[in-house]
Amino acid sequence: MLTTESLRFAIGRWAECMPRCADELNALDGDLGDGDLGANLVRAAGRLEEAAPQLPADVGLALLRCAQAFTSVSASTYGTLLATGLMAAARLTKGREAVPWSEISTLLDAALRAMMQRGHGQLGDKTVLDAVEAARTATAGLDTPEALLAAARAAIAQACDRLRDARPRQGRARIFGDKGIGRDDPGIVALLRLVECLQPAAAP
Amino acid sequence: MMKKILNEPRNYVAETLEGLCAAHPQYFRRTGAEGRVLVRPDAPIAGKVGIATGGGSGHLPVFTGYLGPGLADACAIGEVFSSPGVDLMADAIRAAHGGAGVLRLYGNYGGDNMNFDMAGEMVELEDIRTTTVRVTDDVASAGPDERHKRRGIAGLVYCYKIAGAKADTGADLDAVTATAQRAVDACRTVGVALTPCIVPAAGRPTFTLGEDEMEIGMGIHGEPGVRRGPLRTADEIAEQMLQMLLTDRPLAAGDRVSVLCNSLGATPLEELYITYRYVARRLAGLGVTIVQPLVGRFATSMEMTGMSVTLFKLDEELESLLLAPCDCPFLRI
Repeated sequence: MLTTESLRFAIGRWAECMPRCADELNALDGDLGDGDLGANLVRAAGRLEEAAPQLPADVGLALLRCAQAFTSVSASTYGTLLATGLMAAARLTKGREAVPWSEISTLLDAALRAMMQRGHGQLGDKTVLDAVEAARTATAGLDTPEALLAAARAAIAQACDRLRDARPRQGRARIFGDKGIGRDDPGIVALLRLVECLQPAAAP
Repeated sequence: MMKKILNEPRNYVAETLEGLCAAHPQYFRRTGAEGRVLVRPDAPIAGKVGIATGGGSGHLPVFTGYLGPGLADACAIGEVFSSPGVDLMADAIRAAHGGAGVLRLYGNYGGDNMNFDMAGEMVELEDIRTTTVRVTDDVASAGPDERHKRRGIAGLVYCYKIAGAKADTGADLDAVTATAQRAVDACRTVGVALTPCIVPAAGRPTFTLGEDEMEIGMGIHGEPGVRRGPLRTADEIAEQMLQMLLTDRPLAAGDRVSVLCNSLGATPLEELYITYRYVARRLAGLGVTIVQPLVGRFATSMEMTGMSVTLFKLDEELESLLLAPCDCPFLRI
């Protein structure tokens, strides 16, 4: 079952692993944007770590605190989108102290819809939305954290490969147009790293 | 070159707020991260619908000036011309919440919309009920068929006034929201810009206009307007503005309106009164009665030269709410 304790475990892993991913993400983002994605995620992980001891047992309210950690770091679109997804999951889990792992795909579905609405993005735009969609599909019907993480990681990596040669159609990367072709989307790679951090064997 | 009275550009907003609160401690108290949320000292007021607003700096008295009895309760404040973040907006909502829910009332700008929507979702998970009304009075920013896309400018002042007065009657959140929306629907504004302003951190003018040019419909951040041309006389400018306003929302004999002649910053009161004089004559000629005119600096763009004219069409309820008492350093009725 997903509990606040599971969230604390994830936060601990991110705080430990994200600094090792920062340079790669900053560089990817710097090719097409302002190059602070890795730094922002490290700062967000720091805020999450600060918040972790006081997270409420209610999983929904704990997810809300996590969303606030992202919005408190910066006004970046990526942080706002992740916070939006976390809040959508918070709405579905509020009032519960344990959520069956089999609901993860449903939570990802709610997160994806909210993120698409917030950013006016579509699937295939070559953004983090494509990564969430891949994870949502791959995690349907799975009910252990090991299986969920393995499936999500494989699916996001596949989405990243599939979209590498696509033209970005959203956000700053869109403005760079053809320059984005052949490059991995920083937002997709960031989500991939966030998932990998949670798998001790795969962690960067 | 940048010719402004300032210290470190990065301290522009913090020092402004420090001075504002030092000058008017009976009206403003700072709270939130880095003191970027201003609230009425007596907020939250138990049982009253709260009114939270917010937006970028550089427009005083909008947004944060209009806190007080009969007006708004809390304001989230961003950098110059930048939306405040989600957390500040959520703090403003919490500070305004006296148990009866909170109306988010602000100008229609992309960043503010997204951040205030998220802030609303956040506080709803904390069981604070909120509603939204976005002010969309700038007729130059989109056509009549896309009124929801229009930006919010000086009409904000009327919307704060009406929503604040309605909340003071003890009305519930839905009623305050509906009345605030009616105020938005009754407001039409158009502006004209003569010279640009300078964002302190950028140090450069936000746009350029020729020595003898003006631009009708320019936004309060220098967004392009509808018509750029040679500078005209005061009466010709006023006539052009009135025609745009009256085409968008015709008035008939017997109608009652309030008129706001607003300086965008540098334009002096004299020129506002010259314009008001023309507007008053023209409306009298149409058989329209003016109630509670407002002339002065209400919604600015720092040192921009220019002005805006707002027509606020009244009905019985809006008129009585407009004339209800309110008190802040920049508006007393």
